[in-house]
Amino acid sequence: MTAFRAIVLEHFRHPRNRGPLDDATASAEGANPLCGDRIRVQVRVAGGAIADARFTADACAICIASASVLTEHVRGMRVSDAAQVDARWIHESLEGEPPAGRVKCSTLPLDTLRRALSASDGSIP
Amino acid sequence: MTDGLIDQSEPLLSNEPSVALATLVAATGSTSKKVGTKMIVGESGRLIGGVTIGGCVDAQVVEAADALLEAGGRRVLSISLDDDEAWEIGLTCGGTVDVLIERVNVHDIVDPVAAAHVAARAALARGESAVIATPLDGESAALVVSEGGARHGTLGESAVDAMATTIATDVLVNGSRIAPIDHAGTSRQYFFDRQSPPTTVVIVGAGQIAMSLTRMARELDMRTIVVDGRERYATRDRFPDADEIRVGMPSEIVASIAPSKRVAVVLIAHDYKYELPVLRALLRSTVGYVGMLGSRKRGDAVRALLREEGFTDAELARIHTPIGLDIGGKSPPEVAVSILAELVAVRSGKRA
Repeated sequence: MTAFRAIVLEHFRHPRNRGPLDDATASAEGANPLCGDRIRVQVRVAGGAIADARFTADACAICIASASVLTEHVRGMRVSDAAQVDARWIHESLEGEPPAGRVKCSTLPLDTLRRALSASDGSIP
Repeated sequence: MTDGLIDQSEPLLSNEPSVALATLVAATGSTSKKVGTKMIVGESGRLIGGVTIGGCVDAQVVEAADALLEAGGRRVLSISLDDDEAWEIGLTCGGTVDVLIERVNVHDIVDPVAAAHVAARAALARGESAVIATPLDGESAALVVSEGGARHGTLGESAVDAMATTIATDVLVNGSRIAPIDHAGTSRQYFFDRQSPPTTVVIVGAGQIAMSLTRMARELDMRTIVVDGRERYATRDRFPDADEIRVGMPSEIVASIAPSKRVAVVLIAHDYKYELPVLRALLRSTVGYVGMLGSRKRGDAVRALLREEGFTDAELARIHTPIGLDIGGKSPPEVAVSILAELVAVRSGKRA
């Protein structure tokens, strides 16, 4: 098994930060319209930093693993720094890129986080 | 209407001021219909539903109904199926059926039976079962007792209503039947007719099988709710017969539907991204049926993942997979038939 598959499976079976965030200050929901992944990313922003980030998803293993590593990474980060996280960071964290047709599964959590942060303070493009 | 309630909005009844309502109130032997099944015979000759499998027996009911529409009143028609074709084809015993036939002024809210059907229909709309109690002879009267405890109408005396309410409480659990009520030195027979809300089929996955399911379920008096995370699939264009279409996080939508024995959830997305979260939301709820499309091997794999998360063998055994009865079909409509066949078997108590 490749490192990518092992990491994805580990996060899929034991996702970090899965579940609703009761005191969220911002939330966004995203979907991959054809494959059906759906995810909600919630954040609590305080003093310009992400105090907490969680996600809820009915999604595939790659999407859930991506959300898991992403929410771990951005917790405690300045909102402006979180804006710099990109798909390359996600793929480095998962130690590989998904097959061509599945890249959008890995980037959906990132896109959704950005929209949540944008709703939070309007600073994310 | 076949075994349910008079629906005053039914187009076939719009020009029928009064009808004869025939209800199968008792049956022995090999009758194919269940107690409570109804047929309406209109003054114009219209027929809706049927109390037996058809043929000569239904014909006798229609003849009696025609006569009663002229003369008025109510009567119980007893028919021995041995007298019909049972002996002709070599059967030794066909059984007997008792059919209550009564004249009902469908659109008259003062008519006790018409009013009772309106009240029972309202209970069903609230998601409650209801029992209609009516005497088998004498003056028309009806009392409706709903699952929530509400009562509507009367059988004439408060003491009789109280005894009927006690019987109705039992009928709500055990099903329709005739029961006697003794009062003021006389004994009178009543039919207690249980009506239950339709099975709600929650279909997760808005693909081709779902399209067939929504079309066919309507014929079986089942409500359908189509659930998917994809707006492009779960559209009214694709599902004109669905009672509801809901797009969003499937596990959250399913969890938001009040669980009951009359809710069946069929997972036909054939995609673990929906199956796992929906099953997590369902396996500890009280829904009456959970089925999942896929092979036995796939079902075992999904169960293994959920077992790791702490679900018990008893909880995992609730998942019907492969879904449906094995009728050998492969096309989406054929798979839909096999799923609905299993739901009918569960509804009728033939399958757990």
